[in-house]
Amino acid sequence: MSQTRRELLVDPLVDNNPITLQVLGICSSLAVTSSLKVALVMAIAVTLVTAFSSMFISMLRNHIPSSIRIIVQMVIIASLVIVVDQLLKAYAFEISKTLSVFVGLIITNCIVMGRAEAFAMKNPPIDSFIDGIGNGLGYGFILMLVGIIRELFGSGSLFGVTLLQTVNNGGWYVPNGLLLLPPSAFFVIGLLIWAFRTWKPEQAEEREYKIQTVEAH
Amino acid sequence: MVDGSANTASPKGPLRRFLDLPTDSTAKTLFVAVTLCLFASMIVSIAAVALRPVQEENKLRDKRINILQVAGVYDPAVSVATAFEAFEPHVVDLRTGEFTDQFDAATFDDRAAADDPALSRALEDDPASISRQSFYKTVYLLRDANGAIDKVVLPVHGYGLWSTLWGFIALEENGNDIFGLQFYEQGETPGLGAEVDNPRWKALWNGKKLRDDNGDLQITVAKTQPAAGPEYYVDALAGATLTSRGVDNLVRFWMGSDGYEAFLNKIKAGEIK
Amino acid sequence: MGLRNFFDRIEPHFEKGGKYERFFPLYEMVESFLYTPKTVTTAAPHVRSYIDMKRIMTYVVIATIPAILFGWYNTGWQANSAIALLGESAQTGWRVGLIQALGIGLNPDSIFACAFHGLLYFLPIYLTTLVVGGICEVIFATVRGHEVNEGFLVTSMLYTLIMPPSIPLWQVGLGIAFGVVIGKEVFGGTGKNFLNPALTGRAFLYFAYPAYMSGDSIWTPVDGFSGATALSVSATDGYQALQAAGITWSDAFFGFIQGCLGETSTLACLIGLAFLLATKIANWRLVIGCLAGMIGFSMLLNAVGSDSNPMFAMPWYWHLVVGGYAFGLAFMVTEPVSASHTNVGRYIYGALIGVMVVMIRVINPAFPEGMMLAILFGNVFAPLIDYFVIQANIKRRMRRHG
Repeated sequence: MSQTRRELLVDPLVDNNPITLQVLGICSSLAVTSSLKVALVMAIAVTLVTAFSSMFISMLRNHIPSSIRIIVQMVIIASLVIVVDQLLKAYAFEISKTLSVFVGLIITNCIVMGRAEAFAMKNPPIDSFIDGIGNGLGYGFILMLVGIIRELFGSGSLFGVTLLQTVNNGGWYVPNGLLLLPPSAFFVIGLLIWAFRTWKPEQAEEREYKIQTVEAH
Repeated sequence: MVDGSANTASPKGPLRRFLDLPTDSTAKTLFVAVTLCLFASMIVSIAAVALRPVQEENKLRDKRINILQVAGVYDPAVSVATAFEAFEPHVVDLRTGEFTDQFDAATFDDRAAADDPALSRALEDDPASISRQSFYKTVYLLRDANGAIDKVVLPVHGYGLWSTLWGFIALEENGNDIFGLQFYEQGETPGLGAEVDNPRWKALWNGKKLRDDNGDLQITVAKTQPAAGPEYYVDALAGATLTSRGVDNLVRFWMGSDGYEAFLNKIKAGEIK
Repeated sequence: MGLRNFFDRIEPHFEKGGKYERFFPLYEMVESFLYTPKTVTTAAPHVRSYIDMKRIMTYVVIATIPAILFGWYNTGWQANSAIALLGESAQTGWRVGLIQALGIGLNPDSIFACAFHGLLYFLPIYLTTLVVGGICEVIFATVRGHEVNEGFLVTSMLYTLIMPPSIPLWQVGLGIAFGVVIGKEVFGGTGKNFLNPALTGRAFLYFAYPAYMSGDSIWTPVDGFSGATALSVSATDGYQALQAAGITWSDAFFGFIQGCLGETSTLACLIGLAFLLATKIANWRLVIGCLAGMIGFSMLLNAVGSDSNPMFAMPWYWHLVVGGYAFGLAFMVTEPVSASHTNVGRYIYGALIGVMVVMIRVINPAFPEGMMLAILFGNVFAPLIDYFVIQANIKRRMRRHG
């Protein structure tokens, strides 16, 4: 084992974050981050699905024929997602209405498939489970950051609790409507990636080209 | 395991022997695929079946909360089912304005009925842009302690700018004074059209009147006050011309002769008790 | 030349190894604004031209002067006329107070009074733009060690001219900061931006604070007065209704209508455009393409017709004079950095914008104005257009010679 279990859990938070470094799982982070409560539920759902699918796939890894391995992974992930979806509809109805189709789309979230294929197929179940938790938390961490920015400045509240009283409700804060539209998450995530890579320059990619400078004096 | 087939000396059960087949052999591939599918489908169907009753209850509860809210009697402390007992659902035939016993009012789905050619019609004059209208709508009567009608809750819907707005309008017992309007489903522009959910705007509806003394439908959502007077006018949403127009159209359509007019006339005349 | 000596004396402090090395961009900005740069190229290729970037930028600012002057007058005229209608006593605020203290008055018939009133709306917006945008520019220049670019003077002027007069100043600052940072600096600064920074800032405000950027009560900065722009009148009731609203075609052409600070007068924009074309800063192919696209597509829609959408019937000469079309055509479609760079590409780029303007104005139900979005759309496609033009050229030459 090249990584300790602690590293498996902590690494994906910042150093190897699935969203900011690997740029995976972007679609859902656009769609569900306009309110923090929804983002939190989505983060928990993805963490659970990633952890358990990685664990089950890892348990079966020596018996999964390579010709149908992607399908096998998909079946396991999809079943878990359906179970999560049903649970949400039963016990968190309000939130499942907002999440609507995006819970189902966890199936296509690249993070889940990515961890299954890249990690769980080669590692024992407990490590895979921890790796899944770690990556889910890394995803959730970014989701929460984006959610905080979007909900606070877009509707003046956090977790539905009003912090900045908006003009339409008689307060002073003019909410930024752009932040309620999904494309704004592109800007927010882009700026976050920028901040992360300024903080940790080793995350920046190599330039694809070099600007040639000619000595001029 | 790939090398599992090497130690064949010890006796094994059939399952063990299968698992020890080379992973990529056809037999094992089929075996894994079939077993996994059976297993996964079992889990999924157990979850779906076991949770269905809870989910159905949630849906019903959600709809009832909206009805309670629009009638102004929602209290989070009181159980929704209890509070809703004060309401009496009826299916109304819009053509006659009379209640019909054709359907069970508790389970009738007027949204689905709009797609059934036997129960609905295609609209030619279609200001609310809903294309098909069901002849039958479920309305809710709220009764006071003496059993007299207190409020009437009517489902309405129509197209705004980007989406169909689905909601309820609550009227006072005379069938002409508006108590409230609330949408439970809409996808209008955040900050502009989506302000139809803003409590301050919704409060504007309270106390407005549908028709004047001559029985002409006067209620309107507009930027400037019409000649009919302030009690027939709700100020349009700032910056959301098309959503406001959509609300105007849908309210006027459903309150008009293609909508609940016949039914409301009966309420007014006291023919429905 | 005392000033020159002063610059020469302090220059060593700002050069590599000097005390204020980090602030070289600031020094360079001031010095090269006043004097010709001393640096020359030493290695090939040499391109010699009397037009350097500074001169291009200065010319564009000069070209906007008619629009600026008319913008002052019209903003003030709209405000004064509205005040005359509502009664002077109802109006408060520092502007009215200052005007009355100076004894200039609020007479809508006096050109000077109107221009002065308009100036009081223009200046705060412009100064906010310069300060906030300037700070962003200087921070980036200092951190990245490149020069502060004159391009910002153009950006700030164009940005100011496409603001509604009643906009709160904090929004002005937020918009220009977004425009400069996201529209330009993240891509590497002037010359590397593929979006027009002024329009990027405007688009940010448009989606972030739509109630302040569209609607009826923002175009004339007088409390209690509401009046739709020519475009939103025609979007709801058709262009024929403009006559009823008291707007004739010549009003719209000369610019006596409501709208953003500098975009109402088609005439002023066309004067600026003529200047840019004569000095060869604007490429005429872009203009031809954009006009052809707009005229062609609006005529097509006229022919198609629609019962429910009155905008279908709007003729091209009305599209030309209402909204931001003329301003965008003169100063934004022709902007060399974000436009296509090949000659064939310029026709396509212009036509794409022309078609998109009409499409957004007529067919999209939510946005009465389409020029801003159409130009940004064109900006995004410009590199792609160039790519295909160049590929086509390579293929043609290969067939000929291969």
